[in-house]
Amino acid sequence: MSDRVSETVTMPMRFGSNSGQSVTRRDGIAKVTGRATYAADNHPDGMLYAVYVPATIARGRVTHLDTAAAKAHPGVVEVFTPKNRPPVVGDPDKKPFMFAIPIEVLQDDTVRYAMQPIALVIGETLEAATEGARLLKPQYEVEPARTGFDAEPAKRAAAGPFGRPAEVVHGDTEAGLSQAKQTLDVTYDTPAQYHNAMEPHAIVAKWDGDKLEIDTPNQAIVLSRGFYAFYFGIPADNILIRSPYLGGGFGSKAVPYSPLVLAIAAARKLDRPVKLVLTRAQMFGPVGHRGATRQRLRIGIDGEAQMTALDHVSTAIVDSFDSSFPEPAANASQGLYNASSLHSLMMVVHNDIGVPGAMRAPGEASGSAALECAIDEMAEKAGMDPLEFRLKNYADVEPGTGKPYSSKALRECYAEGAKRFGWAGRPLAPRQMVDDKGFLTGWGMGTALFGAPMFAAQARAVLRPDGTGLVETAAADMGQGAWTALAQIAADSLGLPLDKVEFRSGSSDLPDGGVAGGSGHTATAGGALHAAGTDAIRRLGELAAADPQSPLFGTGNQGFVARDGRLYAARDESRSEAYADIIARAGGQEIEGKGSAARPPEDAARHAMYSHGAVFAEVKIDPVLFQMRVTRLVGAFAAGRIINPKLAESQLMGGMIWGISFALHEEARFDKRTGRIMNTDLAGYHIPVNADVQGLEVITVHEDDPYVNPLGIKGVGEIGVTGTVGAIGNAIWHATGRRIRHFPIRIEDLLA
Amino acid sequence: MQQIRFVLNDETVVIDSISPTTTLLDWLRETKRLTGTKEGCGEGDCGACTVLVGKVVDDRLVYRSVNACIRFVPSLSATHVVTIEHMAGPDGVLTPIQQALADLHGSQCGFCTPGIVMSLYALLMEKPTPSRAEIEIALQGNLCRCTGYESIFRAVEAAAAGMASATPDRLTLTRERIIATLNDLKPKRTIRIFHGQSRSIIPFNTADLADAYATEPNAVIVAGATDVGLWVTKQMRQLSPVIFINHLTELQTIDETADKVRLGAVVTYTQAQNVLAKNFPALGKLLIRIGGQQVRNMGTIGGNVANGSPIGDTPPALIALDATVTLRSRNGARSLAVEDYFIEYGKQAREDGEFVEALEIPKLADDEFYAIYKISKRRDEDISALCGAFKLKLDAAGNVASIRIAFGGMAGTPKRAAHTEAFLTGKPWNEATVSAARAELAKDYTPLSDWRASADYRMLAAQNLLTRLLIETSGEKASLERYAMLEAGE
Repeated sequence: MSDRVSETVTMPMRFGSNSGQSVTRRDGIAKVTGRATYAADNHPDGMLYAVYVPATIARGRVTHLDTAAAKAHPGVVEVFTPKNRPPVVGDPDKKPFMFAIPIEVLQDDTVRYAMQPIALVIGETLEAATEGARLLKPQYEVEPARTGFDAEPAKRAAAGPFGRPAEVVHGDTEAGLSQAKQTLDVTYDTPAQYHNAMEPHAIVAKWDGDKLEIDTPNQAIVLSRGFYAFYFGIPADNILIRSPYLGGGFGSKAVPYSPLVLAIAAARKLDRPVKLVLTRAQMFGPVGHRGATRQRLRIGIDGEAQMTALDHVSTAIVDSFDSSFPEPAANASQGLYNASSLHSLMMVVHNDIGVPGAMRAPGEASGSAALECAIDEMAEKAGMDPLEFRLKNYADVEPGTGKPYSSKALRECYAEGAKRFGWAGRPLAPRQMVDDKGFLTGWGMGTALFGAPMFAAQARAVLRPDGTGLVETAAADMGQGAWTALAQIAADSLGLPLDKVEFRSGSSDLPDGGVAGGSGHTATAGGALHAAGTDAIRRLGELAAADPQSPLFGTGNQGFVARDGRLYAARDESRSEAYADIIARAGGQEIEGKGSAARPPEDAARHAMYSHGAVFAEVKIDPVLFQMRVTRLVGAFAAGRIINPKLAESQLMGGMIWGISFALHEEARFDKRTGRIMNTDLAGYHIPVNADVQGLEVITVHEDDPYVNPLGIKGVGEIGVTGTVGAIGNAIWHATGRRIRHFPIRIEDLLA
Repeated sequence: MQQIRFVLNDETVVIDSISPTTTLLDWLRETKRLTGTKEGCGEGDCGACTVLVGKVVDDRLVYRSVNACIRFVPSLSATHVVTIEHMAGPDGVLTPIQQALADLHGSQCGFCTPGIVMSLYALLMEKPTPSRAEIEIALQGNLCRCTGYESIFRAVEAAAAGMASATPDRLTLTRERIIATLNDLKPKRTIRIFHGQSRSIIPFNTADLADAYATEPNAVIVAGATDVGLWVTKQMRQLSPVIFINHLTELQTIDETADKVRLGAVVTYTQAQNVLAKNFPALGKLLIRIGGQQVRNMGTIGGNVANGSPIGDTPPALIALDATVTLRSRNGARSLAVEDYFIEYGKQAREDGEFVEALEIPKLADDEFYAIYKISKRRDEDISALCGAFKLKLDAAGNVASIRIAFGGMAGTPKRAAHTEAFLTGKPWNEATVSAARAELAKDYTPLSDWRASADYRMLAAQNLLTRLLIETSGEKASLERYAMLEAGE
């Protein structure tokens, strides 16, 4: 498919030799030697330590804190409580921007979720602050915590996250269901999950008058200045955020959270730098999470196994005071299967928990888990191979809207993945395959889908008199490899080898690189860098073409090719000149280009834009003990142009391992009596260890996309999670005959 | 001279005053400003804080990976602490594992990377050409959330391939000098360190330990700190005085005779691995599923018994083997069966001033079958929901001549299944008997429900483990191979 498209539309941009190469990470050496500096590694002179006291109830009021005892402890500098809270100018209960959430900065004594900050202790040492926090021994007036789906009747959500509607209707699914030859009506549950980046949230805040410097891991460096400007009543330009390395983000490090704002406020009040680092347990409360969902999926098919209806209602557990982020699971059913009627709706149940937020593949991960299992169940009812069923319902245009896809190599993903996995010959019925050791063996598959958004970014590119380049944009590298992939794009745009380009990033005094989220960062920041570099080359070309001394004199109307530090006439490569020579004759001033990137709304209106993939899983299960192992995972993905195959493979593999984690491991377990999470540590909140990951294979399918953005880039950061969860759930059914309709799937589900 | 002295990278450190519970990680990061070592969890789960601690053992310098987040500084007397900053040479030349991790993208966000470098360096130092299983074991205690396990794996294989031709790294070149320095730093008498109101006691020998504990029976004895460390980092407990014992050579002995194995109280899981795996293969397999490598390098079997946890993994294994524990005080020593040591939840048969000195484990007779089954949600680095240990002997007619069964996680203490044992003894070892015996287990235990497992699940799983024992002792080959694979995690 994609190749058919590419025959008729030529790519608008020439691309250099850096992109597409498996360039080794530029930050690799810093990371393996411990020299990569993360926020908590900073230590300005005179720095104090802050420790926040977390609420140990989920709902109620703080009635007493033993501040006298804490203050008396040697080394304790200050104890902040609602009685003497450090000033925060902006209203903490307001949402200054779309992505912001209400925060708790000691504005009152209310407790709205467990782990909420209820006091802040400042010490000369970490030990003193920690002990001061312990001595506060809070007392409460406790109200019963609302926990779980049964806490109240579900209500229709006011809106979905990111400004999307709570309900989408294309056609009449009720009619589609009543006319169907066969129907399916199933409910799947997914748990609350917590990002748990290896690096806990951290901040070092330092004031100089009304100027603020902060070191904190951040996925949206320039955007976040605006948040902090709001809270502290200063111009955004007065704020410098440094975030050269994030120890993982996964969506949890894009907005300011209560403890971070509190630390900044304390630093201002005390006029000394303050460091605050969350404990692992404190990561389970004020810093976002993936909300639990209960999803009802109804599917109807006609006599040809063609879907007449796909109805997806997702109820999400949200907090009790903001409710802006119902995990948008039902969205996963839009845009994928060619059902003649489609309906998705978000509902909410309020609990006493912290505000949920975006976590790697928000909505898509939970929604895909349920959808792909339901599709498998429907295929089973239809007596069809699940891959055949998906091909039968393959959408050549976006269902509902009828928009053409900007590109869609999903058929190729299905074919390549199935071939590599060896899907052919899979028995339709479950419990048919037993290996030579007696393990029940099952094969399952799922379709991976993730949108290909673009945000807004700016960049600056400079050609220096010595012929080298400098590019700048405040991008965020949370592990995905922005330091490397973006530099590759920039080097190509400047026609320079990678080692001749200096890349400055990770600091808010640079042009806005946009948010590292939505799998759109490479396309967005990369697009801006590309535009800036192109602009610099254009200016260089103008100089050369206007200079009678240059071999390129008078070639301006035919354009230029920039390669290896030389500018060539586009139609006569015998005429060329080195950058340094052009600049020298023009007076030796560096040449500056500026660029920006954003998707024009008309482009977004014309095409549906997604990355696609197909994931195939094999599980082996002991027939008596039901211990489960995912023995093979093959994922084939089509995600537009791949800038760095090695980085992309790491991202896709990481996503698929998150899929294993979703299917079999991670969940926050709530104590129904107290509303507190019981497993607030990495001993109890399980993520896969190395041994949980066995044969894992990633294939990237070639895809040219002339519409998605000038560089043809989609994204690979999140799609790996989708498809994988369903593939594993379906494989477990295929091995055992048991449909387990919640995640994670546990041994006892199969024993019972 | 009341000082703690050790070597940090290439600097000799002398400390006059420090809290007994200051962790090595906080000290490195906040006092020494060596921030390459990271904190990810503060409880020995994630391995981001992994450093090496070298000790002179029998004139050899042995480096082990440990979790700096739960290692207390006063336990470091006369050791060599090596951090990520000391890995690359002064000229910037990387060790083979660092180079391979950089080349093959074993690092993504990079936060777990320093710890992973240290764990893998330790692996390659000991095993230059590790097997896949050995790599997996070395990485058990290092979590990566990005997650780059596959790339990390490839990096180890690449580094191993280049080990033979690699130039000797810093630690290899300084071995002799470090041994001499550490020998100089060894204390000549008991050391007491004061810090405000709190105290650390580092006894010179076991006799001094007995005296100190007799004088201060409320002191906390710390061996590996893999449990006590969490009292501090998670529960914020203030401990004082603390008596550190992991350095006491008299308690580090492993003695094997014709009929038994004797382990000193501070023998670590790692040190015990070989002798236990040789004599009790099932116990050897259990040990590599306790914590990660870093925890096994610190944690002691003596400590696992001494602190009386109902979900410790080794007590049921030891009870099924009819092991004994030796308790010592200033007034002498006494031995009792390990099962009698556990009285009830939180209460052990230990008098004031008594500490665990050693464990004695009788060897198996040729006709005794011994099995341990640990049930946990995640195979590696997880706390047991339950753990069952069985020692079975059949007579010539195929009847049960004797059986000892002990479970952890099924009661307030590790506990024997007296009813089930009595029921099985003398009966034919077959499916009918085992089916009937399942009901007996319900008489022996009334397990609790907690978030790790429900009471029903625990009981059902315990009963199924009895069935598994039958299959393993009499079943067909495929089942045996299957279980072997599950245990090995293949």
